[in-house]
Amino acid sequence: MGRAFLEIEDLSKDFGGLRAVNSARLTVNRHEMVGLIGPNGAGKTTLLRLITGILKPDEGFIRFKGKEIVGLKTWDIVNLGIAGTFQNMRPFRRLPIIANVMVSCLCPRAMKRGEWVKKIEAKAMDALEFAGISDMALEKAATLSQGDLKRLEVARAIATEPELLLLDEPFGGLSPAETELMAKSIQRLHQGGRFGRLHSEGPAMIIVEHKLQQLMKIVDRIIVLDFGTIIADGSPQEIVNLPEVIQAYLGQGGV
Amino acid sequence: MGLLRYYLRRFLIIVKSEVLVLPSRMVVCVFFLGLLLLPAVTQDPYLLRILILTNIFAILAASWDLLSGFTGQMNFGHALFFGVGAYTAAILNLHAHLPPWGSIPLGALAAVLAGLIIGIPCLRLKGTYLALTTLAFPIILLGIVFTIPGITGGELGVSGLARLSGSRLSDYYITVVLMLGACTLMWKITDSHTGIIFHAIREDELAVRASGINTTRYKLLAFCLSGFFAGFSGGLYAHFMRIAGPSTLEVSMSFTVVIWAVFGGIVTIYGPVGAVFILFPLLEFLRFWPEYRTLMFAVVILLILLYMPDGLFPWLRDKVETECPRCKIRNRATRKTCRVCAVPLD
Repeated sequence: MGRAFLEIEDLSKDFGGLRAVNSARLTVNRHEMVGLIGPNGAGKTTLLRLITGILKPDEGFIRFKGKEIVGLKTWDIVNLGIAGTFQNMRPFRRLPIIANVMVSCLCPRAMKRGEWVKKIEAKAMDALEFAGISDMALEKAATLSQGDLKRLEVARAIATEPELLLLDEPFGGLSPAETELMAKSIQRLHQGGRFGRLHSEGPAMIIVEHKLQQLMKIVDRIIVLDFGTIIADGSPQEIVNLPEVIQAYLGQGGV
Repeated sequence: MGLLRYYLRRFLIIVKSEVLVLPSRMVVCVFFLGLLLLPAVTQDPYLLRILILTNIFAILAASWDLLSGFTGQMNFGHALFFGVGAYTAAILNLHAHLPPWGSIPLGALAAVLAGLIIGIPCLRLKGTYLALTTLAFPIILLGIVFTIPGITGGELGVSGLARLSGSRLSDYYITVVLMLGACTLMWKITDSHTGIIFHAIREDELAVRASGINTTRYKLLAFCLSGFFAGFSGGLYAHFMRIAGPSTLEVSMSFTVVIWAVFGGIVTIYGPVGAVFILFPLLEFLRFWPEYRTLMFAVVILLILLYMPDGLFPWLRDKVETECPRCKIRNRATRKTCRVCAVPLD
């Protein structure tokens, strides 16, 4: 059996007296789509931020394609092929939407992989097209609705052409119809292929989400975090029936 | 002859389709032409002197906007770059006998080095902390200047430098052309891909890092570019005034640059340049009422900031031009429909 695509070993992170992530250990394979769930404050976002290098762990290892990435700068991690979205969206509000995506298209990884693309603008437009907001490309990002900001976050992340995509609550604040559309977009991206001038390698994904019904339809595996500790790891069907998961997160009613 | 006619026709088409369609572009062209043709109307040495200094300070103000306006790295010690450029050019001219065309670029390069030296420790700082730290650097350099009077001339500065050129008129043309060139270059930088990253760093640095961009490199680049242009203006100033003194490093110099930029409108390049062309001659004009001079200057600035918080020139531009709601192209305010997509303009 080959080495896992992403390996996390004994990863811990403390914020003062609070242990946000406690000896987390998980693996993600190349073509896997993994859901990461847990109650509020369980450490899901912290775990994603540790992987993307925004936060530095206190202990533990993270290996991506066999390479240790703890200690690398965030931009180096992105250029290795890991991209993520922010839970609380962070657009460049005073810039046009297309310029928001162009920044990602200008990273060394995207530039190298898209050498044949003459115009960065065209590639950014294709990322927006994929996310479904190309018609608003010239609007300022500050004018976007919550749902469209989520789409912009996804467009920015995929513009770096990642091999591992970390999505932090991609369905948050979306209507049921928008959620359905976003889920389809994520599945399409995961399958890979060419979207205009944008190439998708079919990235592996870790998706943090509270909308479990939609999440379970698209992921292969679910990992449950509680108080920073991984308490379950299995297929969606296995997870919903585990008593400790029901107790910690889903409540007595289940889904 | 046919080729000449072809290029003339192309030039006229560009003027008609790109310049005459927008009042702001017409004003910029008239301003450029006015500066170039002014000596044909008057060659009054006092007026030329004021305009030469205005040209030099316009480069300085635009260079502040490049760093603090576009990249958001709030620099309250911009006089450092100006002073380093001025002193380096002066010392090289006086001791190494380099002519101005050699000493001024080397002064600008010394300011780039200063940009690197202050840029590296400032990388981790933001907002108020960055502003206060940058404020300290020219004061530190001023202390060094007073410590080694043998080289820097101490409080008297380095004087007796070579003239910029042989006459006031040629000084004027040199500074006009260099100002137009430097400001156009800065505007092109801000309009490029690098400029987009500068903008994004100002908006949210963490999000830029998460987009795979090495923000450290771009912030240092902004410090160096800004330092280069400010140092260049410092060198020009030293050779025009024939002295590089401690006044080039004073706190008041740093704050004057900020006032110019905020008055004209930051994140524009043209705003600070326009502001210098209003405020610097205004201050000279107010010399006729010396007791009220500073008060009147302050009142003008406060009124502008009160009624035009984004600065004078963006306010004026919005009065004479409107943005198409669909294609975002700017149009003359009197137009009923967009000149590109024909959408009705409100």
